[in-house]
Amino acid sequence: MIEVQELTKVFHQKVALEEVSMRIQPGQVFGLIGPNGAGKTTFIRLLNQIIAPTKGSIKVHGTSLNVQHVRSFGYLPEERGLFREMRVLDHLVFLGKLRGLSKFESNKAALDWLEKFEITSWNNRKISTLSKGMAQKVQFIGSILHNPEIVILDEPLSGFDPLNVDLLLEQMRNFKAEGKTVIFSTHNMNSVEELCDEVALIHQGKLVAKEHVLTLRSAYKSGNFKLRFRGSKMAFAHALWTWFELLTCTELSDSVYEAHIKSRGDYAFNQVFERLSEAVKLELIEEQLPSMQEVFVKLVTHEK
Amino acid sequence: MRNSWLLAWREFLERWNNRSFRWMLILGPCLMVLTIYLLLLSGNQGTNKMKVLIADPANLLEGKIASNPIENVQYFFYDDYVELNPFKTSPKFNEFDALVEVNEKVLINKKVFLFYKESPSLALKMKLKFDLERRVEEVMITQFTTMSEEDFRSIKQPLNIDFRNVNDPYGQSSDEVGWVGFSLGYMMMFFIAFFGTNITRSINREKSSRISEVLLASVRPHQLMMGKIAGNWLASLVQLGVWFALVGIGLVILKTWIVPEFFTPEYLQGVQVTGSQLKELGLEANAPQNDQVQLVYQRINYLWLLPNFFLFFIGTYWVFASFFTVMGAMSGDHSDGQQFAIPTWILLSLSIFSGYNAMAFPESGLTDFFTYFPWTSGMVAMVKLAVGVSPMEYLFLCVAWILQMVVGTVCVVFAGRIFKQGILSFDHKASFRQLAFWLRKS
Repeated sequence: MIEVQELTKVFHQKVALEEVSMRIQPGQVFGLIGPNGAGKTTFIRLLNQIIAPTKGSIKVHGTSLNVQHVRSFGYLPEERGLFREMRVLDHLVFLGKLRGLSKFESNKAALDWLEKFEITSWNNRKISTLSKGMAQKVQFIGSILHNPEIVILDEPLSGFDPLNVDLLLEQMRNFKAEGKTVIFSTHNMNSVEELCDEVALIHQGKLVAKEHVLTLRSAYKSGNFKLRFRGSKMAFAHALWTWFELLTCTELSDSVYEAHIKSRGDYAFNQVFERLSEAVKLELIEEQLPSMQEVFVKLVTHEK
Repeated sequence: MRNSWLLAWREFLERWNNRSFRWMLILGPCLMVLTIYLLLLSGNQGTNKMKVLIADPANLLEGKIASNPIENVQYFFYDDYVELNPFKTSPKFNEFDALVEVNEKVLINKKVFLFYKESPSLALKMKLKFDLERRVEEVMITQFTTMSEEDFRSIKQPLNIDFRNVNDPYGQSSDEVGWVGFSLGYMMMFFIAFFGTNITRSINREKSSRISEVLLASVRPHQLMMGKIAGNWLASLVQLGVWFALVGIGLVILKTWIVPEFFTPEYLQGVQVTGSQLKELGLEANAPQNDQVQLVYQRINYLWLLPNFFLFFIGTYWVFASFFTVMGAMSGDHSDGQQFAIPTWILLSLSIFSGYNAMAFPESGLTDFFTYFPWTSGMVAMVKLAVGVSPMEYLFLCVAWILQMVVGTVCVVFAGRIFKQGILSFDHKASFRQLAFWLRKS
């Protein structure tokens, strides 16, 4: 478990992170979201001891963050960088060795990953000859070569085409299945929704929210439901009475309709069901939760 | 430590894989051997053949000059004065290469001018001087004394005052040997400047490419700095080692196959002046081998100088490299690096000056200061070691070396701290205020 207590970082009188406290449970995929310049990268750099905190502490499994912890992390920084004149395989072996692997282990792990990503043909290519996306792939492999328990990825999806985004998301799913802790910052809310167990929203250096994804989405639900029913449209509209507002109603087939309704109060799912089931035959009721994108916008706008 | 070594090895391989580095491994020594060859030749440049016209209106020499005439030099006598302009322009004198004017006063003031159209070689000059001096002496002996030639020559030696250091009463050291030390020191500084700037560049490059962030997650900043220094040190040692080995081989080749004649006692036989003849005239200082040959092949104590060169190279490289890492850590980009390089170049220039100062004023207070000033002590040590030091002086030089190592270590720790604090200051010019802040923070 990673436990952060009142973490603060000040750069030349500019507060980049202000008293952020949180716990990240082991085996979680933990998303860090927030607008540009919010302090996500600063938080990640502090976790990797790239910079020292002005105040506060970080504990890993109950002990203060130290060099051994950091060395065991897998870290992909936001700003990508590789030695341009080195060859792909040599570079990966070098990075693996820096993380404590032997030459043999490093070489084997590098070849396995290159094969997994189907890029073994790049082995002897110089980094300078790779495209930005290709280099990012190599750097991603370099950061996880030593099979870390905790993987910290700063904007791992940026700069990748959709195919490679899928490839990376797939890999993160695998990490989750293997029980690794994955901490990643992103602006890609779909990936947050799909992958993350918990998210933390950082805005202007402050922790605005830290919740399970579903809890967070539920907290911002607006009482929207999607229904499919068989029966009379008129009876359905009457049954809504003053409690619900009919947003849309589309006939799918003979007497089968799909409707979107919005609750005018704080009515729960079972109340909807009770009220409507007397008037029509309900085939589907689904509460429409806001997307993480909407939650993000709401949170940030609210903070403003 | 393992990671420092990994980084050092990577840094070394980066240099090694650079084509120009590998080319310079071969080209550098070739150029040095060529320079030495030219140096050796410089002792014997100029024409080796001459037709000399001796204008002797008073017939002092009586048409005689050389006791052992040779083909290379032919003397012709002219019983009148010859002006320089006609000698240069008149077809009558076209065939002559040099004009010697012997007038009546030569027996009193012993001054003879030889005007040449093309400069004679050192050996030929000696031959001409030998022939003329010997003939004038014969005339003087005949005209002014009743002595034999042998008696006259035994008493004619002038008083020779030689200035010598009290610590070097036998005059074993000399300016030339001092210059050898200076040259080795200069070479040391050349390598340090070359590989040291690589360190600054490399740090800047890693900052710009942001790989430093990945590296810092695995290694401590001072380990990163150490890796850079050690990698470049390794590359410079390889280059130096190869250079010394190839230059050594080149010197042997020069001596054995290219200019073997420079190393035989008959070196000057082309003009047939032997060692005994020179001694006879008191000219044995100009021994059959020229000064440069003696300097390169006989007077430099390579077994003493080279190990010490490597020792002081380590110390001087360490103290300069650590300074270069400070510069690299402070700078935000390449142009910034250039700005910060100015103090380093000042130190390098100061070091060169200190070497010259140590040669010219070895006992001065300034030389003492430069001996212990970490950035100049390597250079001064090379000059002192080449000229020769007492055991106590050597001990003091070792103290200076230790001082270099200590100062270098402190600088590396500082560089690491600055680097760590300034890691996020990409493309950002670090002010001295900021620097002080970073140091205080760390």
